[in-house]
Amino acid sequence: MKFYSVPIEHREHIGGYTLFSYRWEGPVEPGQFAMARFGRFPYTLDPLLARPLSFYDQDGEATSLLFEVRGRGTALLDQADKIEVTAPLGRGFDVNGIDGPCALLGGGIGVAPLKILGRRLEALGVPYDTFLGFADAGTAEISRDFPGARVATMDGSAGVRGTVLDAAPPLEEYAAVYACGPNPMLAAVKRAADGFCQLSVEERMGCGNGSCNACVVPVEGRGYVRSCVEGPVFEAATLAW
Amino acid sequence: MVVRTSAELAVELCGIPLRTPLIPASGTLAKEALGEARDVYGAMLPKTVTPRPRQGNPPPRVAETPAGMINSIGLQNPGIDRFLEDLDAYDLGVPLLVSVAGDTVAEFVALCGRLADDKRVSAIELNLSCPNVEHGGLTFCAGPASVAEVVAACRKTAPDKPLLAKLTNEGVLGNAVAAEEAGADGLTLINTVPALSVDPWARKALPGGLSGPAIKPVALRAVYEVSATVEIPVVGCGGVSTGTDVAEFMLAGATAVQVGTASFVREPAEILEEFAGYLEKAGSPARQLTGGLRGYQGS
Repeated sequence: MKFYSVPIEHREHIGGYTLFSYRWEGPVEPGQFAMARFGRFPYTLDPLLARPLSFYDQDGEATSLLFEVRGRGTALLDQADKIEVTAPLGRGFDVNGIDGPCALLGGGIGVAPLKILGRRLEALGVPYDTFLGFADAGTAEISRDFPGARVATMDGSAGVRGTVLDAAPPLEEYAAVYACGPNPMLAAVKRAADGFCQLSVEERMGCGNGSCNACVVPVEGRGYVRSCVEGPVFEAATLAW
Repeated sequence: MVVRTSAELAVELCGIPLRTPLIPASGTLAKEALGEARDVYGAMLPKTVTPRPRQGNPPPRVAETPAGMINSIGLQNPGIDRFLEDLDAYDLGVPLLVSVAGDTVAEFVALCGRLADDKRVSAIELNLSCPNVEHGGLTFCAGPASVAEVVAACRKTAPDKPLLAKLTNEGVLGNAVAAEEAGADGLTLINTVPALSVDPWARKALPGGLSGPAIKPVALRAVYEVSATVEIPVVGCGGVSTGTDVAEFMLAGATAVQVGTASFVREPAEILEEFAGYLEKAGSPARQLTGGLRGYQGS
């Protein structure tokens, strides 16, 4: 896998998440991701592997990634002035032919691909509503970057108390539903949506190019498929949850 | 990155000419990633195939460890029928090796039978690290008798196809000798090392196979000791990540070298380019490196 070195041009910590950007004009589809590591092999032996990070935004000049520090790899990325990336990877959200109102649902760090997805829908003139769920008011701070979004927190410290679905009206009202977040949330969205619904999954990933077979999800009638090349966005109906 | 292959890089493995000594380790190169394999590898080696499709293990399937990763994929593959239908995708104009695994000796034999007369296949690698259900789930590598039984049976079924036995590190010397005596044409050393990842917060374990730079010294030792004992060629595998890693394995006794986990974090072409640089400095073609150590450090 070939990695490219890029300097971090802007970094911001928002409610426990790190948002940083580098100069790259794309193209990138909403829902695609980058494999990112803090340095070039062999300087990075611990951790050895890159991290899959969702594209947060792309304005034609700069590209940004949003992530949560969860371990050594993301902690080192959080401090890096320069990172190594390979991108864009994976299949993103399908917005072709969607003209009705859309619902965008994000849970925790799963809000990441919704910013760029909203930008794409706006460009297409498709109306949408955004619903974001978090653990608490601290992590919910990122919602200030989503004007008009309705927020839910599990402890009730911001927005309505409960899950992201508690902040949303019945999903049948929407022509399309797009969601990203932890698997239990995605399974709940799948149950709540009865029309066109696409889910972006998060799985532990090794390589990002289909080779290692680690990041699999169960798909109806097909066993496990790799989320890095066949996803990370899947039609909800195909997922065997 | 394109590295010009040259006579200096060429080696021969079990009578098969390879234009470079690099081979992808089984299960580390998907069809989707073949682009970066072109002009780098001396042979192709797709993921291990079994008689029937295998779904593999539920996720999570990997955990990271310092300088390595632990995987527990469970040999997910489409089964030999689909595998053979799709095999042409791996035709990059270089010899094609096929890695096989079965639950029983009879399954290994059946797989070798399917490949014995397939002209697309230059050699068969027997993945002997999988459990043998006829022996209480111990792997085929559990001991020399078990290795000899499966290798001899495959030898009989595919008399004209070069057979490589891929062994785990544990008991490698005895198993290597048994494989040679049973008719193996070569050995691949080593498979991943049994390891465990523990998540202390969730209090959950992930048993699997350790790969990556962390296991390189272990693999080098296996290649070194086995190649000094057997006559058949050894393919080194385990943590190969740089051009000098390739040279180290060859000096320790390997004829060719497999690259696996490293291809997830860098371009294999970089490894080949570094190796070509080493050869130039060393003033030696690749084929003359094998077993070329000059003694012990300090001596």
